[in-house]
Amino acid sequence: MDITPRSSQLGPSSARTPLAFQPDHVAELTRALHGVEGLVGHPVLMGGGGVGIEVERARLVQISRALRDDLGFEMLTSVSGVDMRDHLEVVYHLRSLSRNWLLQMKVALEPGNPQVDSLVGVWLSANWLERETYDLFGSIFVGHPDLRRILLDDEFEGYPLLKSFHQTPMTVHDRATTQVAPEEALSGEAQRGVERVVSKRLGQGTMERLHPGTPTFGDAHYPDQPGVPESEGVD
Amino acid sequence: MAIDAENQQVTPEYIEGAEGFRSEEMVLNMGPQHPSTHGVLRLVLTLDGETVVHCTPVIGYLHRGIEKILENRPYMGGIRYMDNADYLSPMLNETAYAGAVEQLMGLEPPRRAQYIRLMTNEMQRIASHMVAIGTYLLDLGAMTPVLYCFRDREGIMDLFEALGGSRFNVNYLRVGGVLHDFPKGWLSRLEQWCNTFDDSLKELENLVAGNEIFEARTQGVGYIDPQQAVAYGLTGPNLRGSGVSFDLRVDRPYMAYREVAVNPAVRQEGDAFARFRCRLDECYESLRLIRVAMDQLPGGPISTRTPIALRPPRGETYFAVESSKGEQGIYLISDGSEYPYRAKIRGPSFVNLQILPELLRGHKMGDVVAILGSIDLVLGEVDR
Repeated sequence: MDITPRSSQLGPSSARTPLAFQPDHVAELTRALHGVEGLVGHPVLMGGGGVGIEVERARLVQISRALRDDLGFEMLTSVSGVDMRDHLEVVYHLRSLSRNWLLQMKVALEPGNPQVDSLVGVWLSANWLERETYDLFGSIFVGHPDLRRILLDDEFEGYPLLKSFHQTPMTVHDRATTQVAPEEALSGEAQRGVERVVSKRLGQGTMERLHPGTPTFGDAHYPDQPGVPESEGVD
Repeated sequence: MAIDAENQQVTPEYIEGAEGFRSEEMVLNMGPQHPSTHGVLRLVLTLDGETVVHCTPVIGYLHRGIEKILENRPYMGGIRYMDNADYLSPMLNETAYAGAVEQLMGLEPPRRAQYIRLMTNEMQRIASHMVAIGTYLLDLGAMTPVLYCFRDREGIMDLFEALGGSRFNVNYLRVGGVLHDFPKGWLSRLEQWCNTFDDSLKELENLVAGNEIFEARTQGVGYIDPQQAVAYGLTGPNLRGSGVSFDLRVDRPYMAYREVAVNPAVRQEGDAFARFRCRLDECYESLRLIRVAMDQLPGGPISTRTPIALRPPRGETYFAVESSKGEQGIYLISDGSEYPYRAKIRGPSFVNLQILPELLRGHKMGDVVAILGSIDLVLGEVDR
């Protein structure tokens, strides 16, 4: 009984017909974008009724102001960094609530010099979104009022969403470590502030990243690993 | 003492007749382990007596690097990790991720799957709002409503357990459809639950609406004007509570929402009470949508035939659904391999939290919890 459709038994729903998204919106937006200067290439159609553009890095703020004031993109929805291996890209998603437009604006950063102008002066929501991108990709937003790490620890080294960032082995600072190997505790080595690699070998030969507090039952160190101080008296 | 709002600084003033005594601001740490922060949020509050001068939210205590994990999982495997982003509405997150992959592949799930998604999404929205409403009232000192809310939510959790095998991290959606069809008797149980919830929602409203203490604590508190809400990128009930009618289910309908009309709950007041009221009204609307979807539920397959190792074509896409907190977007880039090249989660709570320092400034210390709870955060999704 559950599987059978029940629509045949009942008439159509009495609710009003949905306000469907019109493909005209895309055509309108594409026409409106012809007036914007500083685009790289032509606007491309994205899936789901969005339009994608790429802009010159030097004219990003100017174009953003024009998009906000002239075309009515009031809302900056998201800022994403992308690691293209040789350079970084920053992708902005903008919405116009009054005209129901969705725009993807992409800017390519110079290889080796990941700097781009901040858009906090144009959209207030750019503040945390740009901080997040800086935190995970290391792209510098020039003119940002408070460019600090936001999700990660202030003392974290590296930018984890870069493709070059390795996940294992994890380097653990002593400050964050709760476990001290017994031989180190005895010899006083743990107090010297050396960095240690805490890792554990699993059955299938994979290396598992461990939380520093995880008990390792004396198997925490392997002498063949880089960065591990060799200590005497360990089998 | 005068507050210079522009520079966020406090100018000390000498009190007349008490030379030498100067009022100084005090820094107070709220969290990260505080029951009303609903997770591990830390607020560093600068107080002038009872008045909040400045607030700095410190986040990241729950950062698990979900975006990096998604880059190292096959497309199908990523759905399970989306459950953990906003752990109060896993179904909605899964819909966002599955929808993004489908949009990338140019795939349209069968109609029955779309209706199943709509029903589970709306159930999840009610479950999420029940937590939001219940804990908000608990924060404001009302003990009873949270018990009512969690009782009703328990019914949804049981139904999800019957559906996906897990109460919380359901892992029910698949790219191209859903995992499996309803078990026997599931729909009649859902119908039963709907009838029960209909009554208990009215009961909850009677309990809360018109309560003088609750109204006094929330009305006129934490006002967001529409322009400010849009500039800060707010979405969901926070935006609709300020009178801006923007709902992705209406403005950019996806999946079965193209066939089922939604009437978004909009309030004009813009204060904490309006945001709360929006969530309560959305529960009524979601309940109606579940019933409409049950009536219109088509037959047919529940999933398209997709290979386990999906290889979407090269390209990029942005897909967003209306989550219980706002716009849950996924920006996905495929390089043609089995793994996403980049999967960005645009979480509504992260963006919504940004306005908090602006809202708290000038309010009394006692209103901090009333304002924070009205934004309805999930820290799992703020930190990802």
